[in-house]
Amino acid sequence: MKARPALSIQISGASSLGVSEGLSSSLPAISTPLEDTYRKLPGTQQVSAKRELMGGPLVRATCSSSNSGVVGHIFSSSSGFSSDLHYSSSSPHEKHSSNAPFISQAPTNGAASPLLQSSNRMLPQSMMSSHYYKENSGSWCTDPGFPDFPISTPVQSCQVESTNCSGIMTSEDLCRSNEWQEWAEQLITDCDALASNWNELLVDNVMDMEPKVAKPCTSTTLSEQKPQVHQQLPSLSVASRSVVNSSSSANNAPAKPRMRWTPELHEAFVEAVNLLGGSERATPKGVLKTMKVEGLTIYHVKSHLQKYRTARYRPESSEDYSLFCFIGFLGRAVYSLLLVSIFSLSGSLEKKSTSTEDLSSLDLKTGMGITEALRLQMEVQKRLHEQLEIQRNLQLRIEEQGRYLQMMFEKQKSGLDKLKASPSDSENPPAPSDATKELPAKGEPEASQTNHVNSGTDSANVKSMLERSSEEMGGEQEAPKTAETGVSKSSSPPSKRPRIE
Amino acid sequence: MKFGKRLKQQIEETLPAWRDKFLSYKELKKLVRLISSAESPEFGKADAGAEFMYLLNNEIDKFNAFFMEQEEDFIIRHKELQQRIKRVKDTWGPGGTKPSEAEYKDEMAKVRKDMVDFHGEMVLLVNYSNINYTGLAKILKKYDKRTGGLLRLPFIQKVLQQPFFVTDLVSKLVKECENTIDQVFPVEVEAEIVKEQREAITVAGKGIFRNTVAALLSMQEIRRGSSTYGHFSLPPLDLPDSDLIHSFQLNSPITTV
Repeated sequence: MKARPALSIQISGASSLGVSEGLSSSLPAISTPLEDTYRKLPGTQQVSAKRELMGGPLVRATCSSSNSGVVGHIFSSSSGFSSDLHYSSSSPHEKHSSNAPFISQAPTNGAASPLLQSSNRMLPQSMMSSHYYKENSGSWCTDPGFPDFPISTPVQSCQVESTNCSGIMTSEDLCRSNEWQEWAEQLITDCDALASNWNELLVDNVMDMEPKVAKPCTSTTLSEQKPQVHQQLPSLSVASRSVVNSSSSANNAPAKPRMRWTPELHEAFVEAVNLLGGSERATPKGVLKTMKVEGLTIYHVKSHLQKYRTARYRPESSEDYSLFCFIGFLGRAVYSLLLVSIFSLSGSLEKKSTSTEDLSSLDLKTGMGITEALRLQMEVQKRLHEQLEIQRNLQLRIEEQGRYLQMMFEKQKSGLDKLKASPSDSENPPAPSDATKELPAKGEPEASQTNHVNSGTDSANVKSMLERSSEEMGGEQEAPKTAETGVSKSSSPPSKRPRIE
Repeated sequence: MKFGKRLKQQIEETLPAWRDKFLSYKELKKLVRLISSAESPEFGKADAGAEFMYLLNNEIDKFNAFFMEQEEDFIIRHKELQQRIKRVKDTWGPGGTKPSEAEYKDEMAKVRKDMVDFHGEMVLLVNYSNINYTGLAKILKKYDKRTGGLLRLPFIQKVLQQPFFVTDLVSKLVKECENTIDQVFPVEVEAEIVKEQREAITVAGKGIFRNTVAALLSMQEIRRGSSTYGHFSLPPLDLPDSDLIHSFQLNSPITTV
């Protein structure tokens, strides 16, 4: 890790901070709290969260993206940006899994310099972008380009999103996160580098970032560290991620970052504890040392150790709860036998007679009944889980479709704009009639494209967006209607349906 | 039934510790209404809008924090359960240090019960994640509809990446748990099992089981057709044995000694 370049970034980072601070103070909401937020890293998120005013976005962007950058993009704080970084860090298994292979190959040196340059370059832009923020709340929506940035991460969603939001926004995020990344690295390698609160706060967060960064973090800015991390923690790098939840932390100095534990990490933890003589004997410090996992802080270990102890010496912490159920269950077993005879789900049950007979053979029955009831419970639970998984996949696909359609739409739009601007049409009277002329032409390809695209679900939102833009362009289009007729799932729902209660 | 009501129901039926961790759907809805009908157009709208965003982000933080906390607990308990099984087998099982069939059976029964409940809790967490996501999607849709904003699409993209929505680890634990349970449960004849299942209908008053049943039914309800069924909506739930599950709800809980 090159300390020197990091230093320079640091400075530029600081100056950008200053810049943004200045900017943000000019924005409606946030002057003093802003400074506070800068003082305290975790607090940043919190305060910025509180200032979600229209003018706020920039500030939030600053704060959160910077934070996220520091933490390896995983501040799970309230601001939108942090979630962006979540996006980059916590989506290992999704379609972004393509990131993983990318990560391991990232050249360390290669990554460093573009980052440096980019961050420097983008600095001025960040100032301008503040003005754009007043607009829609969606502006802060993502830093999609961010993971994309220095080295092209093959994540489609990134690109899609970056076309959604203003490009400036993207680059600004990038800039910030990059800068913060450098800060973080700087701190890691040279803890005494910076004076002041920053260090205290950042150290914790920064430490978090490291190991967890390994696989899931698609952030390219971490690419430098990743190879190192890989070497150090071959097994742990697999699925670990660290998350910082700053909004839950108080406004005090020691940050309480939340880490996302994994079974592998837990294994290492258990081993360390056993080495140290058991959960009672082991101390957080000792465990931390033994585990030798970079980025793990004593806070993490402490809280985890506490949970571990509770789980061991009061096995099944919800045991009391389930015990209650158990007792209740016994009583209900009898009752249910009664009900069964009444409701008789299957024909054979009619033979079941109610009354004392059952009660006397209660022992036997409940003995059997318990296991069977457990089985039943398992069945229901399995069923629920299955359905949840299916539902989740559906949701993901729906959104993916939506994004894709949106992207297509944007492309169409930009294509249309280009056409409008093209000289070959200068013969005709400018703009309006051009637009109307292009419209039908555009409408067709658009419709057919959206039709082809619609393998899964239709997209009401995209449809409405199409409608909106078509109105802007001054023409009625067939496109939205035809888009709707694209293939839909089980039943093809019309957009409105009589309400079914 | 409206989502808000369903959500409320779920919250009521869920584990008490979880009650305040769900989405504040009603509040968000109020804000949306406020936004779209603000008296003083500029100021009121901006305020409500900001409040909305603030609340949204806070909710997401809340979900993340809670989810990860639970996840960590599950990881620990999962391992502990496995260790416990091993211990029981090694101590009281055949070939153990002090083999005793009675003890073994006893302990195993306890383990089984705990495992099933554990499994249920994990599934409920996944359900928690899902229902909050659904709520978010709905509220965003309302927002866009009422304010003509374009918040939904980009925001939901971000939500998709949030830790609370990435439930892969928990799902994995669930599957592992299922495997372990299969190993730990006594083998029985198929036909008997089916019959027993139908006979042993119990609805625990409060408890994991009841929650799970409620969750499943809720899901079914939520996904039924509605007037605003659109292209971003999920298709109706295909739930075999729906009757059986519905029957669980017929039994009202009774207080027991």
